Amino acid sequence: MHRIDLFLPRAALAALTLACCLSLTLHAQEIPPLPPKELKLPHVVLMSMGGTIASKGDTRLNLTNYGGKGMRVEPDEWVSDLPEVSLIARITTEDFRAPERERDAPFEHGSTHAHWYKVATRLQELANDPSVDGVVVTHGTNVMAETAWFMNLVVNTKKPIVFVGSQRPWTGISGDGPLNMYNAIRVAASPVAANKGVLHAMNQNINAARDVTKSSAYRVQTFQSIDVGAMGVADPDIVKFYLEPTRRHTFKSEFNIATLPDPAKLPNVEIAYAYTEVPGYIIDAMVANGVKGIVVDGTGAGSPAGSQMDAIKRAQAKGVVVVVTARTHGGRVQDTPRRRESGIIPADNLLPEKARILLQLALTKTTDPKEIKRIFDEY
Amino acid sequence: MPHTQRLLTLLLVLAAPVAVAAADLPKVMLFTTGGTIQSRASYRAKLHEYNDGPRVTPADILKDVPEASALAKIEVVEVSNIGSGGINTTLLLKLAKGLNAELAKPDVTGAVVTHGTGTLEETAYFLHLTVKSKKPVVVIGAMRPWSAISRDGPLNFYNAVRTAITPEAVGKGVLVLLNDTIHSARLVTKNNTYHVETFVAREIGPIGFADSDRVVFYRTPLTRHTADSEFDISSIDSLPQVDVVYGYQEASSAGVDALVADGAKGLVFADSSPEYRQAILRAQGTGVVIVQSDRKGSGRVLATDSVASRGVIASDNLNPQKARILLRLALTKTTQPRELQRIFNEY
Repeated sequence: MHRIDLFLPRAALAALTLACCLSLTLHAQEIPPLPPKELKLPHVVLMSMGGTIASKGDTRLNLTNYGGKGMRVEPDEWVSDLPEVSLIARITTEDFRAPERERDAPFEHGSTHAHWYKVATRLQELANDPSVDGVVVTHGTNVMAETAWFMNLVVNTKKPIVFVGSQRPWTGISGDGPLNMYNAIRVAASPVAANKGVLHAMNQNINAARDVTKSSAYRVQTFQSIDVGAMGVADPDIVKFYLEPTRRHTFKSEFNIATLPDPAKLPNVEIAYAYTEVPGYIIDAMVANGVKGIVVDGTGAGSPAGSQMDAIKRAQAKGVVVVVTARTHGGRVQDTPRRRESGIIPADNLLPEKARILLQLALTKTTDPKEIKRIFDEY
Repeated sequence: MPHTQRLLTLLLVLAAPVAVAAADLPKVMLFTTGGTIQSRASYRAKLHEYNDGPRVTPADILKDVPEASALAKIEVVEVSNIGSGGINTTLLLKLAKGLNAELAKPDVTGAVVTHGTGTLEETAYFLHLTVKSKKPVVVIGAMRPWSAISRDGPLNFYNAVRTAITPEAVGKGVLVLLNDTIHSARLVTKNNTYHVETFVAREIGPIGFADSDRVVFYRTPLTRHTADSEFDISSIDSLPQVDVVYGYQEASSAGVDALVADGAKGLVFADSSPEYRQAILRAQGTGVVIVQSDRKGSGRVLATDSVASRGVIASDNLNPQKARILLRLALTKTTQPRELQRIFNEY
């Protein structure tokens, strides 16, 4: 049965309500006390990688130009703002934000491979820690699907790891952050979320890291799995899954953060967009810069532009592995005889930014096209 | 009759290579019930009201799509050849029992069912709950008649046979396949009156695709179905009457009372109306079970305390027509609201 009741025994509920009320009366802004140990609430680690959900605006109506120096939400502030979570899980926090930046610094500059490694290593430690039941990771929404997908491939665990963010800052009017955070903690605390790979939970939907993508710049329903839909919901009554992924992930993955090469040695892979008369020299420049692989985001069913074909052949002649995705961002690139002949590997229905990460990892193991094709078929 | 015997031997020898080849192929049972996929119109461009040509027989399907017979040894069980509006309890039970009998045979790999698209999701969900096998059952239809320009039926049929013999399709419950897209019978619904992309699963989405290179699955359904279902129709010849009541502004309760008077054992409400309150209490007073579903087409009805305190069952995200199917089967087991709610939570 794939559901969990969130209702606690009545005595425990009364004790907790009393504890929360007392604490709120005495120190309105204080973090609620940890529930008594005998309650055996799940232990959820709340890891901040920052993001809009970790940002404040100068006014409630500032929904676009928030964050920056002095405008960040500390991880413990989330917990004190959401006393309700103390009925669901025992929360501890970890701070994996990039250093505080100036207000006009570029967004999400913390999303480097080196930073991913640090986070993945810590996630693996938490996964191995028997006292931890689940992890929630906050992230800026722009590239969170990439970070989640990387973790989905290299952290070997059956425990829920749930990525969450928000479209409006923590201080925004009708902010989506608080409910997203509350629900992500519920998902991470839920036994039904185990064994499903890294999850993404926003706007009451639960998606798989493999398939989810940001589809709208500002709307709260931005995260969608274009081809296959959500797997479950975090509704007021229960966290419920209707589907689970069939592709390899987390504990079924052959990649492991502990055995990956140093981040500086992770094979370099770039993405080349396909459009009418795109010059081939972009691909030549990538090769000259030492890429080991190129993802061509092809037109239609995954066709590089005609003007890219010669450059692709030159790249392949130098041992660069070429993978093709479809810029339609829905539907699979299929395995066809002509494509096999061209030596270009179809990326199934992965988005180019996700195909890039998988290819980087695949290239740490092999450069054999057949083997890389297998990896794209299985993950 | 030595002559006959010799002739038989000769025939057997001649037929041997073919027989061996056919024996190597997996066996797929084709159950046909009819629908647009088995309809013919008087001219090719006629994409509506296409019942003016002779019906398409199972043999016609096999003859028109010889590629399918190259993949599998296809044997036919003709259940009916009618539109989906005519499918009734008798036919549903006949279909489910027939599938159970065939799928129990070790040499059968899977089954394909043709069906009209209008109520296809109801039959597929009924089979999802009553077929006692992990073997793939693929329900198909077509949005354009078999006679039409750019008809979708042949590819849907070919893809269904491919899916029925795909090992990864085992254990995923009853599948609905049109337009290259594989849906779980639990989640799928018809979303458009005429277009080929009509079948969708709204927020949850499809579980796989039948593409030219590969039949591919991305998801496994988690609610209970087929081999894991508690419903057994093997000795059942009829099912309790359950009807659906639509909800809208100022809806009259007269229809509710009339259905109860007609002998309904359960009522599924697609949304509600203040007018229904008293009628629901009257219905419950006579033992009628009430399920609350919704007309929006996506999202769950929550089993809240207020719903439970009124003895009403929440349909989860089952649409009204599917909640009706589940309630009919559930009522063969219990009329206890708590137990019925458990069933709606699990299936």
